[in-house]
Formats: sequence, C-alpha cells, structure tokens
Amino acid sequence: MQFAFGGVRPALTLLIGVAIMVAALGFALVIGETRIPLADIWAVLRIEAGYPAREVNPIDHGILWSYRLPRAIIALSCGASLALSGVVLQALLRNPLSDPYILGLSAGASTGAVAVAILGFGAGALSLSGGAFIGAMLAFGFVAWLARMARGNSAQATSSLALLLAGVAGAQLFHALTALIIAKSADANQARGIMFWMMGNLSGSRWPDVYLAVPITLIGSAIICLHFRALDAMTFGREAAQSMGIRTGLVMGVLISTTALLTAVMVSMTGAIGFVGLVVPHAMRFLVGVGHLRLIPATALAGGIFLILADIVARMLIPGQTLPIGVVTALVGAPAFAIILVRSSRAHSG
Amino acid sequence: MNKISLGVAVATLSASMAMAQDYPLTIENCGHTVTFDVAPESVVSIGQATSEALYLLGLGDKVAGTAVWFTDVLPEFAEVNAKVERLADNTPSFEAVVNKRPGLVASQYEWYVGPKGSVGTREQFHDLSVPTYIWPADCVGKDNSVGVDGTREELVSTEVIYQGLIELSQIFGVPEAGEKAVADLKAREFAAIERAKALDLTDTSALFWFSSAKMDADPYVAGAKGAPGFIMKQLGIENVVDSSEEWPTVGWETLAKANPTYVVLADLQRRKFPADAIDVKKGFLATDPVARHMDAVKEGRVLVLDAHAMDATIRTISGLELLADAMEQAVSK
Repeated sequence: MQFAFGGVRPALTLLIGVAIMVAALGFALVIGETRIPLADIWAVLRIEAGYPAREVNPIDHGILWSYRLPRAIIALSCGASLALSGVVLQALLRNPLSDPYILGLSAGASTGAVAVAILGFGAGALSLSGGAFIGAMLAFGFVAWLARMARGNSAQATSSLALLLAGVAGAQLFHALTALIIAKSADANQARGIMFWMMGNLSGSRWPDVYLAVPITLIGSAIICLHFRALDAMTFGREAAQSMGIRTGLVMGVLISTTALLTAVMVSMTGAIGFVGLVVPHAMRFLVGVGHLRLIPATALAGGIFLILADIVARMLIPGQTLPIGVVTALVGAPAFAIILVRSSRAHSG
Repeated sequence: MNKISLGVAVATLSASMAMAQDYPLTIENCGHTVTFDVAPESVVSIGQATSEALYLLGLGDKVAGTAVWFTDVLPEFAEVNAKVERLADNTPSFEAVVNKRPGLVASQYEWYVGPKGSVGTREQFHDLSVPTYIWPADCVGKDNSVGVDGTREELVSTEVIYQGLIELSQIFGVPEAGEKAVADLKAREFAAIERAKALDLTDTSALFWFSSAKMDADPYVAGAKGAPGFIMKQLGIENVVDSSEEWPTVGWETLAKANPTYVVLADLQRRKFPADAIDVKKGFLATDPVARHMDAVKEGRVLVLDAHAMDATIRTISGLELLADAMEQAVSK
C-alpha cells in the first residue's frame, strides 16, 4: 500500500514537497482580500531583491511585502511546528489522539494573554504575545510537574498516561483561571477578544514575527530530526526502547520540552490553531509510513503547506472578511481525519 | 421625511406639555409586552446608555443603582451620578440587582438581560414581579443570536434612540421630559445633517476603528448598519466596510485599499487590548508599512470619537456633529 521509498525516491519526494511549498507561498502572495495584478507582484519581488523594476503603488507594495509574505511564512512555520509537535507527542505518548495542546499549552497561552491584557501583568513591558508565551510555559511546567508526581506512585509504564491526564487537568485549571480573570475584570462591552487566542489568527503576522518563528522552527525541527531513531523505538514502548539502549528519560525530556517550546512560541503569535498537529501526522503516516526518518520531514512540509492553504481559504471564504483560521483547519481537518481513520483501518484489516 | 417627523414631534410636544401619563401603560419591548399600573418608584440601570438616558430625562433620583460603564459619565450628569450607587463597573450579579428592590430593570443590551442574559433572563425578573425594559436600539432590526455582538438586519437610526427616551419617559409618567429631550436631540441631528449637505461633498468615505485584539491583527471596525453606519449615511459618507455585523473584523489589506477619506478612532477608557488606547492606534497608523500610506493618515484626516457615541445612544448625535465639523474643516482648508 505504501509508496515505495528506496534509493532515489525519498529525495524526489522531498523535492516535490518543497516545490509544492514554494507554489503554496506563491499562491499566498497572489491570493488575498483584494486583487493585486501579477505584474505588480513580480515588480515588488524584483524591487525587494534589489533588481530594477517599475514603481508599485505603496499600499500594494506594503500589502505584498509586509502583510502577505510574512503571513505566509508564519503560516508555513507555524504549520510545520504544530505538525511536528503532533508527530513527536503521538509517538512518545503512544496515543494517536495527542496533539500539541495536550500539554495544556493553549489554555496557558490564553491565560497569559488575558493576564497581561486585563490584569496588566508586566506593567506594559510585556506584550500580549510575551504573556501568552509565559502562560504557555507555566502551564507546561505545571503539567510536567503533575505528571512527575503522579508517576512517582506507579510503574514506569504508566508515565505516558500520567502525562496525558496531567495535561487534561492542567488545561482545565488554566481555562478556569482565564474564565476567572475575565469574569472578575473584563470590560463587558464586547464578548470577544479572548476568541483570538482560542481560535487562532494569522492576521497580525509581520516580519519581526518571522525573525523569531523561523529560527525556532528550524532549531526545533533539527532537534526532532536527530532523534528519529529514538522516536521509532519509543513507538514500541519505553521498555522496548530501553532494551535498544536508548535513554528514554532523557529523550522524553528533550523532545517534550522542544515541542512545548515550539508550540508555545506559535501559540503566542497566532493563538491556538487546532487540528494541524492532530491530523497532518496521521495523514503523513498513511502516505509515507511510520518510519520517523521520512515521517518528520514529510510532516513538517505538509503541516506548513496545509496551514498556508487553510489561511488562503480563510481569507477568501467570506469576501471582505477573514475567518479565524482555526475554523478552516477544523472544517477541513475533521472530515480529512474521518477519511484517514476509515481508510487506514481498512488498510490494516485488508 | 425627517423634516416631517421633526415637525410632527414639535407639534405633539406643544400639545402634550401639560399632559400627564395615563396608566395602565402597555409597551411592546423587544418581544415582550410590559404593563405598568403606576410609575415605578425606582430603577436599576444596566448599561451606560440607559443610565445616561434616565439622567437626561431628569430621573436621576429614581435610579437606585447602575452597572456596566464604558466611559466616564457625561460631565453634565456627574453630580447626579455621584449620588447613585454603582453596583458594578461591569456585569452585576442577579441578586445585586434584585436586592435594590427595583420597580424596573432597564438594560442597554439583551446580552445582560435577555434570552441568554448574563445578569438574568427577563422571565427571571418578571417572576419576581420586577418589570424589565431593554434599550430598543439593541433589538429593533437587530438579531442578537447571530454574530459576536449581534447582527443588524436593517440600518439603525436615531428613531430607536428617540423611541427609548419617549418610552422611558412614559413609564415614569414624565412624557413631556421625553418629548423635550427628543426635540433637542432632533434639532442637533437636523443641524449637523444640514451642515454636511451644504458642503455638497462627493466621494467621501470613512472607517471607524474600534480596537484590535492584537496590535497588528485585523481590527474591529464599525459594520454598515450600526450607529456609525447611520452617522455616515446621514452625512452622505460611504462606509468602507459593508458587513452587517455590529463590529466585524476586517483586514488592513482591505481597509487600506479602500482608502477612506476619514479614519475615525474610538476613544475607549477600558484597557483590554493595547489598541484600546488612542495613542496606540495613532502610532499604528503612523508606522504600519501599509496603513501609513492611506490618504486619511497622510493628510491628517484622523478623527477621535468617544466610543460610546459609536453605539446607538444619546451620544450618537455628537458623532454626527464631530464628523460634520471635520468635513467643514476639510473644505475650509
């Protein structure tokens, strides 16, 4: 059933993946809320690359170079990070339902954001994104601590379960804290705003975000790539991995911290975008198999491409208005997940 | 049409100056029929719009408590308001309201007192024999079950503000106060519209920026059919946003390309998002790689308007006046 991946094929597949990614970036530049002629897009790219080209209307120039391009790069970076985090957590926790938010990160991010916005934490020195990041890391710290405490009482084998349960508890706690802050002190004028952090939104993406997101994504991806063997082994359980000479405690610690950092950075910039981290890894397992050497690059690329395309759809679905991207990823992600579920179970039984 | 209704209002005003209110009084209010056998002794007002409307009607001594304040009370009501207990800055609890034993609960939004009211449903209050009154601007031509802040089915107009003033004055047995307040506001509204018409401007458009959840993110802007939409329509200004939602989010890409003649910034006192502050909004317009190229920014046509005037309240009229002033200044330059 799987496509053959010997010798040349993986390189070719990777090349095709990169080509699709570049095409998706191109689409993201061309398609937007308003129409900008292709010739202008070409001219702007030439100007920014330092080549001579004719002047473009400054508003159009700004839209292309300062809005659409950084937004597409953030989508790519964010999609890749979330999908990779999903792969890692699904393997480590041996739970197919794991996604980057299982560690309580999105709940923590919204708590951090409202704490800064409403309670004024940081006294102006802390941006909403900074607050969201700190909240996400605090929530993760709480979940990790809780999981460790829970594990102390039981066998090693249950540690994955302990982390999952701690994640659920942590998410509930931080959601409650968010609700408490809102109830205590929010202005009642608008019921919205917190939705931004719950549903995800790429509209505020600018170049400074890119300078943070891209290096973090690259470093995180590299760390995860280096552990592909360990991830393969961990899929068969901790004991199996240990018998293969892998220091499972260390690997768990490094990889979970990496995913937490990746997710926290992304959530702090874009809010919690659902389904990417859950669906894309499963789709890629179906396409390239369960081996992490192939799965990791495939998932990173696919996650990035998926989010760029989802963002294009979010901008186009209602003219003149942009939908929260979380709505689009869920609308596409849920049926896609259902199809994968049915087809993969058939493949297993057949 | 407006001129005729103004004339009628003035005529009824003079005829009814000495007229007292007849009871029992029955009012159709936001899908409920509310009957008053006598004028209520007291009222709890949830929402700044109803609080200030009651003060305008000279009913300050009947107000037993207020809640939900977006900005400071209008200076002319500061003295009256100082004597009234503020139950909560934001949403009060059901019991805090009922504890005042009010003869009426008036609410600016169904969001507070309505089918999913965060304070309570109207039935909850009616079960305790406390009648309720919703500011008509929140339900006439508006569907609160759609969109985050509700969706307007038709363009709001000052008529709903006047309806609210008239009905509140009738409930409290002071119809002449309601008619006087309405006549004053109508005269101001009419004058502002005439001033704008006299300028005979064409191709004038505007954008009302309320706030943004995150600084660079898509901003919350005024939809087509709320109070800002009404202000613009009356003055012959085109709104660059055509959504029917009360406060939709629209991308800067769309807004900048639409290149409005005026950008009107909401002056909010709350600090929930960085963009609530006027200076932050102005800073964004000055530095954003796209927004700074808008004609309104380059040519200094950025106005500031009290956020509460962007709701259908007695302050809406000052929004009309502000824009009319700005248009006159732009022409005289």
